[in-house]
Amino acid sequence: MQFPCHRWFPLRWLAAAFLLIPSGGRSASPGPVVFSRDVLPILSDACFQCHGPDAKEGRKGDLRLDDETDAKRDRDGIRVIHAGHPDASELLQRLLSHDPDEQMPPPDLGRPLSSEQIDTLKRWIAEGAKWGKHWAFERIERPFVPEVSAGIHPVDALVQRGLDEAGLKPNPPADPATLVRRLSLDLTGLPPSVVLGDHSALIRDRENPKTDHRSPITDPQWSSIVDQLLASPHYGERMSWDWLDAARYADSNGYQGDNERTMWPWRDWVVQAYNENLPFDQFTILQLAGDLLPSPTQEQILATGFNRNHMINGEGGRIAEENRVDYVMDMTETMGTVWLGLTLNCCRCHDHKFDPLTQADYYRFTAFFNQTPVSGAGGNAQTPPVLEIAPPEAITARDTARKARNAAKALLDKAPEPEKAALEKSFKETEAKLKSLEDTIPKVMVMADQKEPRKTFLLDRGLYNAPGEEVAAAVPAILLPAPETRNRLDLARWLVSRDHPLTARVTVNRLWQMLFGVGLVKTAEDFGLQAEYPRQRELLDWLAAEYVESGWDTKALLKTIVTSETYRRSSAITSPSDFENDPENRLLARGARFRMPSWMIRDQALAVSGLLEGSVGGPSVFPYQPEGIWDEATFGKKTYRMSEGGDLHRRSLYTFWRRIVGPTEFFDTAKRQVCEVKPLRTNTPMHALTTLNSPTYVEAARFLADKVLRAHSDESARFQTLSHHLLARPANAEETAIWKRSLGRARDSFSRDSAAADRLLAVGSSPIRLGLDTVEHAAWTALCLNLLNLDETLTKE
Amino acid sequence: MSPLPAHSPWRILDPAAPAPLRDHQLGINRRQFFGRAATGIGAGALASLLSKEGLLGAEPEPGGLTGFPNRPPKAKRVIYLFQNGGPTHVDLFDYKPRLHEVHGKPVPEGYLGGKRFSTMTGDPSGKLMLQPVEPFQQHGRSGAWVSAFMPHTAKIVDELCFVKSLHTDAINHAPAISFLLSGAQIPGRPTMGAWLNYGLGVSSEDLPGFVVMTSVSKGTSCGQIFYDFYWGSGFLPTRFQGAKFRGSRDPVLYLNNPDGLSSDLRRGLLDDLSELNAIKFRAIGDPEIETRIAQYEMAYRMQTSVPELTDFSDEPDHILAMYGPQVREPGTFAYNCLMARRLAERGVNFIQCMHAGWDQHNSLTTELYTQCRDTDQPSAALVMDLKMRGLLDDTLVIWGGEFGRTPFIQGDLGNRERWGRDHHPYAFTIWMAGGGVKPGITYGASDDLGFNAVENPVHVHDLQATILHLLGIDHERLTYRFQGRYFRLTDVHGHVVRPILA
Repeated sequence: MQFPCHRWFPLRWLAAAFLLIPSGGRSASPGPVVFSRDVLPILSDACFQCHGPDAKEGRKGDLRLDDETDAKRDRDGIRVIHAGHPDASELLQRLLSHDPDEQMPPPDLGRPLSSEQIDTLKRWIAEGAKWGKHWAFERIERPFVPEVSAGIHPVDALVQRGLDEAGLKPNPPADPATLVRRLSLDLTGLPPSVVLGDHSALIRDRENPKTDHRSPITDPQWSSIVDQLLASPHYGERMSWDWLDAARYADSNGYQGDNERTMWPWRDWVVQAYNENLPFDQFTILQLAGDLLPSPTQEQILATGFNRNHMINGEGGRIAEENRVDYVMDMTETMGTVWLGLTLNCCRCHDHKFDPLTQADYYRFTAFFNQTPVSGAGGNAQTPPVLEIAPPEAITARDTARKARNAAKALLDKAPEPEKAALEKSFKETEAKLKSLEDTIPKVMVMADQKEPRKTFLLDRGLYNAPGEEVAAAVPAILLPAPETRNRLDLARWLVSRDHPLTARVTVNRLWQMLFGVGLVKTAEDFGLQAEYPRQRELLDWLAAEYVESGWDTKALLKTIVTSETYRRSSAITSPSDFENDPENRLLARGARFRMPSWMIRDQALAVSGLLEGSVGGPSVFPYQPEGIWDEATFGKKTYRMSEGGDLHRRSLYTFWRRIVGPTEFFDTAKRQVCEVKPLRTNTPMHALTTLNSPTYVEAARFLADKVLRAHSDESARFQTLSHHLLARPANAEETAIWKRSLGRARDSFSRDSAAADRLLAVGSSPIRLGLDTVEHAAWTALCLNLLNLDETLTKE
Repeated sequence: MSPLPAHSPWRILDPAAPAPLRDHQLGINRRQFFGRAATGIGAGALASLLSKEGLLGAEPEPGGLTGFPNRPPKAKRVIYLFQNGGPTHVDLFDYKPRLHEVHGKPVPEGYLGGKRFSTMTGDPSGKLMLQPVEPFQQHGRSGAWVSAFMPHTAKIVDELCFVKSLHTDAINHAPAISFLLSGAQIPGRPTMGAWLNYGLGVSSEDLPGFVVMTSVSKGTSCGQIFYDFYWGSGFLPTRFQGAKFRGSRDPVLYLNNPDGLSSDLRRGLLDDLSELNAIKFRAIGDPEIETRIAQYEMAYRMQTSVPELTDFSDEPDHILAMYGPQVREPGTFAYNCLMARRLAERGVNFIQCMHAGWDQHNSLTTELYTQCRDTDQPSAALVMDLKMRGLLDDTLVIWGGEFGRTPFIQGDLGNRERWGRDHHPYAFTIWMAGGGVKPGITYGASDDLGFNAVENPVHVHDLQATILHLLGIDHERLTYRFQGRYFRLTDVHGHVVRPILA
């Protein structure tokens, strides 16, 4: 647990350790009951559906258990909660009753409280029924971490508290090789052999079999590797994937018609913003309200494309205003999920059942987004306001062509009948020219507020044509009062103010989720009352405070986390009882181990094979896809035209995303229809079939085999090179014996049928490099394909 | 199929054994597999590994949720013949003789009552009524009315239970289909098939538990897009989402080994792969690795089972003839209906065949004929084929779309070629067969013009509750916690339609 001070060690941790007021020791059960941790989740889960904040629908028995005054008031001598007197509290009598008419929760709900939960409520009342706020709505205070002064990493110190409580022993550090691969995949989404390459002495040493790959990495070495990876342009690409999921970025509108759009300059802006480490508060303000800054630059307006990534409905028979209202709601709810971690969509139709948010709060939020002069009329892929992203020459050329077209049209219209045919031809030419120039100019839908403010109403049951009371833009004071709420800029500034209870917690939690597979709050999309109380709340709050006080420095925060011992632990399950005590590793005794996202698996295959075309940004590309997928889904209206050359091997981030039929090689990704912030990880056989059989992987295997065969003539050296690329570690004898067997099988098969070897090597559009024995190359291709499917290859561990 | 490797956890499984027995064997074998683990994980940890979901993303056990089914099931599987676009109830099954009397007259007073129609209709007052395009006749012992559009369905009416009082909340296709299949108009909730597999588990060893196939009649001018949220798993793990079989070439993407890689070589390589994964598992004990081994074995088995599934050469000619001339053509509804029966035989729990093109805004006298020709015979054949094999008793077949069509005309009465009807959510007809539903009955009724469900109205949530009931699931008990609340297919609504239960 020793944490030596390096030059990058942030001094403010030490300062903070002494300056901040202790937050009070963590209450180990059966210590005093803590309202927000122990009581509120029970009340919320079991009672609020009928006795919660929703005033109009559902509240029963004229009782609010979310409101201290109401819950404790005298009702003709009966008190639902009588502080200090559990036996005189109606709440407990109802919980303990066996009479189905009296019993709470009503037995037909089928969700009775456990005796532990009832006991908790009883103790809480006995201890005085002290009320409090939902933990996530409290101001973020940096917990006191005295261990820091002893050189212990604050993350480790805080994690250790949880481990001590549970009596768990942390794992030792992972092998350096495993660690470097873990870090490289986490921060760039690419394997270390590609990103670090020869720049890392460490990696070079590991290629040398004489170097012990298990010799530990020193802290300065580790720090320097972290810096290298954070400085890689691939860092921004890796971070962008998750942001694109949240922003529901896609290259088409969705719904029927599913017309194409060109939002990719916005996507490139995101990559660049991450690479330049734009502070998250700026990142927020630009995307939510860059257009409202004084004299906004083109970049600031471009950033607001975030809001306009929503689907656009072109279905016939749809009412334009209904569509427009849908878009406003989508913008509002996306903001709610990404920054607030709240399920605002619940409030479209009624007051929130659990969280202290009313339907009016929801529509006050929508008022911020309701001012854009967007039409809901369907069909048009690029509904204004749009920003054209092109060099001035391209714009000028287009404008000139437009004038020429208009002139030709005017001539045509005025011309006498006999001359029309000739003029028609020249008009068509000018029109074609205009179109070809127009197509070179990507148009990004962006935000703008119209001059004449649009009135916003509470909509009954969320229906566009059922307006209720008029509402003005405002934020819920229960979260944090705002000084001003005139427009989106005020909203964005409110979100990133130091006192905001949610933004930093929610954002830090997503970063933690990215690294550890599961957030400190498991429900990354919900920090409301129904979310679990984080067992590592102090850690979450410490990280959140650190993030805000560092100036929302994302790279610094990631560095803080990945330099902890917690991050660097081995992910092996070494103790059965420890595993049993914490199978989900929520207490972090082990390092994270989980299957990589499918897009990262593809990128890794391209990278290790040397096929990856690593350029950053640009229009979306069309990698391998079986024929007919788009045609089938669109009744022949859209046909997939595969890219050629290097564009087949760009990073997955740049794959064209058609909303009604997403890319075929990705699994468990967000659907890019509405905001999604929590990845799924499943193990469908369809995914295995893809990595076993799709041309992407077969071609990558061929190139990897080629690389290995040319690097060495000696088989065992070849095995080690292969292992270095795929697993970033040496292979052991037990493994290589099996690899040898695989090679033997493949050699047998291809020697018997050398035409089959030719066919395997012909998969993929990249040409075969000459000079290798066909049977041998095919046999190694088969081995490489198998190893691309190894659990360890598919997994970050 | 090549022999499985000695260490394969699937090796001792007897494919002929009933699913629960296989699960038991699987458990035992996993224990043996585990017993060899070098990490020395004891029996206690083992129980945990085998019973818990484990790390985030680890697979739940294949047997479904404990406690389900929570009542004796009548149906073990569902085949949903989804007629996408809104079949015209007043032209097919819901016979309204009075429509002939009021033909060409404005919509009579009292039927509209502020109802919402699609923008194509807008304000419906003053619209002209339209008689059924084809004549109706009564059929079978049950005397069910069926129009001349559906001659094959007419022959099997005594097997069918018609529900003529269905009504829904949505008036456009995508929201209405989403509402019917997932209980919510906005995409993002699990669909019926996903719920079913989540609750009851997957009973097929070699195929996914929820399979979807789509088709559209040739020459259809207004095909509706099949969105993948029609078979989505919403917030349930994606292993429960429908596996979309494609209608041409390979039904499963990337099913075939790469060109040049023989299946013998692949089997050998997969054996090696399993062994390498097992080494890793012994070293670090992550139960996810076991799941990986199982995942790859399932992929391999699908490589065998899917081609066998789509090989109709074992079907006698008289069976193929029953389904009609298109049965050999992948991607047609007839082909998909026969596939549905073959999937049902192989233990797949939820089979969703969606046929688009029932959107007759201006094609009642033209494309509707094609639409019926392509779907009528295969639907009837499927019911009878299942019956002949004794499968109809525990297979619930449902035929129906997302809404009906207006009893008034869309278009010009004088231009018969372009007669059409608009979307109509207030009353429409579906039929069900087998799986614990009373055969040869008609339940519920619309009013005398087919406008509104007036007798025993059945809401979409009631239909969903009834389907789950037939499968042995109390629709109020099958819940999933997401975003802090418990969700279910029927939201907070739904009543089982008991009078139609056998």
